Amino acid sequence: MGLLTLLRKLKRTDQEARILVLGLDNAGKTTILKKLSEEDITSIMPTQGFNIKSLMHDEFKLNVWDIGGQKSIRPYWRNYFDQTDALIYVIDSADKRRMEETGEELGQLLEEDKLSEVPVLIYANKQDLMSAMAPDEITEGLNLHTIRDRPWHIQGCSAKTGDGLQDGMEWIVTKINDASRARGEEKA
Amino acid sequence: MKLKRFLLRYYPPGIILEYEKRDKTREMKEIDLLHLTPETDVDVLVNQVVFEEPLISENRKPQLRRLIYKLIEKLESNESNDFYLFKILRAHILPLTNCAFNKSGDKFITGSYDRTCKVWNTVTGDELLTLDGHRNVVYAIAFNNPYGDKIITGSFDKTCKLWNAETGDLYHTYRGHATEIVCLSFNPHGTTIATGSMDNTARLWDVEAGECLHTLLGHTAEIVSLNFDTQGQRIITGSFDHTVKVWDVRNGRCIHTLAGHHGEISSTQFNYSSDLCISGSIDRTCKVWDVSSGQCVHTLRGHNDEILDVSFNATGSKLVTASADGTSRVFNTINGACQAILIGHEGEISKVCFNPQGTRVLTASSDKTGRLWEVETGDCLQVLEGHTDEIFSCAFNYEGDTVITGSKDNTCRIWKC
Repeated sequence: MGLLTLLRKLKRTDQEARILVLGLDNAGKTTILKKLSEEDITSIMPTQGFNIKSLMHDEFKLNVWDIGGQKSIRPYWRNYFDQTDALIYVIDSADKRRMEETGEELGQLLEEDKLSEVPVLIYANKQDLMSAMAPDEITEGLNLHTIRDRPWHIQGCSAKTGDGLQDGMEWIVTKINDASRARGEEKA
Repeated sequence: MKLKRFLLRYYPPGIILEYEKRDKTREMKEIDLLHLTPETDVDVLVNQVVFEEPLISENRKPQLRRLIYKLIEKLESNESNDFYLFKILRAHILPLTNCAFNKSGDKFITGSYDRTCKVWNTVTGDELLTLDGHRNVVYAIAFNNPYGDKIITGSFDKTCKLWNAETGDLYHTYRGHATEIVCLSFNPHGTTIATGSMDNTARLWDVEAGECLHTLLGHTAEIVSLNFDTQGQRIITGSFDHTVKVWDVRNGRCIHTLAGHHGEISSTQFNYSSDLCISGSIDRTCKVWDVSSGQCVHTLRGHNDEILDVSFNATGSKLVTASADGTSRVFNTINGACQAILIGHEGEISKVCFNPQGTRVLTASSDKTGRLWEVETGDCLQVLEGHTDEIFSCAFNYEGDTVITGSKDNTCRIWKC
């Protein structure tokens, strides 16, 4: 994937949906992406920049951008906001110490103009760990019920085992489908 | 008219005559020696040049002979040396985009997803300047070569900025494009800037005044490549609408639309004489076009996947293509024959270029390596290993003895021989 391919991925097309995957460092974004594309997940390094994967899901071509989550590079997330059809926000459910921080980052994302009305899927990752908070607890803790300006959904999952990942993707694809149908009706 | 002195141009080889007119003003005249090779019969060439050029008198022949030998020596330089890793520059906190040298090669610049462009000292590897001000990815960058005292940066923030290459001061921000700027160039005199955008237009800007001189309207999809010709009179733009357009720089009018590709254009270039241009396409072919007639001269086939980059050598006698099929191919420009297939990369090749001497090809690949190839045989001479992620860009300096590679791994590497 050279620079030219990156430019081609910038284009908005009706055939490809663009999905942005964000979250704190060590939330498991890259692992989720690799698991979804059935790649080896044994040695994953912190993402210094970004990874792009094309996934097929029920006839849908999904163009998924996984962006590094370290604090120093979070200010650059907005580089990637344009043309986003759906946001996946990944939370390390076992990292209670940083639950507040991840909530704040999510809150800021939901206030971004370029992401307004973009459906958001929250993956409550690492459910395979004993210490993981349940999706309900996270919903409560982060006041997710106050999100009213867009479709949202929280999905418990484990990138390690793959549990819950497909359920989340189903939800995303349904929402993207709804949106593109609405756009089609507007045109008509 | 009186000849005052000779100047040499190494790549492509040529002799520049500085002469005095009757009114005592001085002018330059270029004699291109594009066909010069180490096998050239120098005495025959000297006689021919003196015969054709009234400015050069018989008694200048010995001097002219010495100059031509010097040009030949330059064509043969660095031939046998290997490149070694000179420095790793932890350049940026996010992936690099493009990189470029100034003419003398003592400085180079890198663009990045971290929204900056950095200026580097090639000799020491020191970071000289950080050009900070864009609000999104710095994608396209260029020096105003041959002068090298200014830098332009084109960004996903829709603007182009002009900087002082010595101090890093921002001279001007050119606003007007509706979406990302992804290609740009100075004209050869450094007076005009051309920018190409995902908004389907290209724009010409006056460097001094900062005004938009012309908006080049006509493409129906993103413009991803543009080049001035050697004289700066015409510009070509390559677009995702499958066409290349030739424009008149003076009035911004489209002279020709070069149609025939069946997929997006990925890369374009003029040859040195600017009578031909080439276009690489996602349709797996490269086309050679006659610029004045707008006719396709050759369609170069053979790649099994998208062509991602194309490049002429300095004289324009050969061209090279880079493909997603992991190979590069060297073609003879005149007859369109494939002269070498460069096989060895384990991933797509996204950038390719000749060294200034035209003896080697440099390729950059998603397999994290850069490679150097012998043009005549197609043999891989060297694998530049070390990057930990794919290489997005690469360049030779003007002497051909230094290479830089810019990678998605956030580093830039300097290789010397």
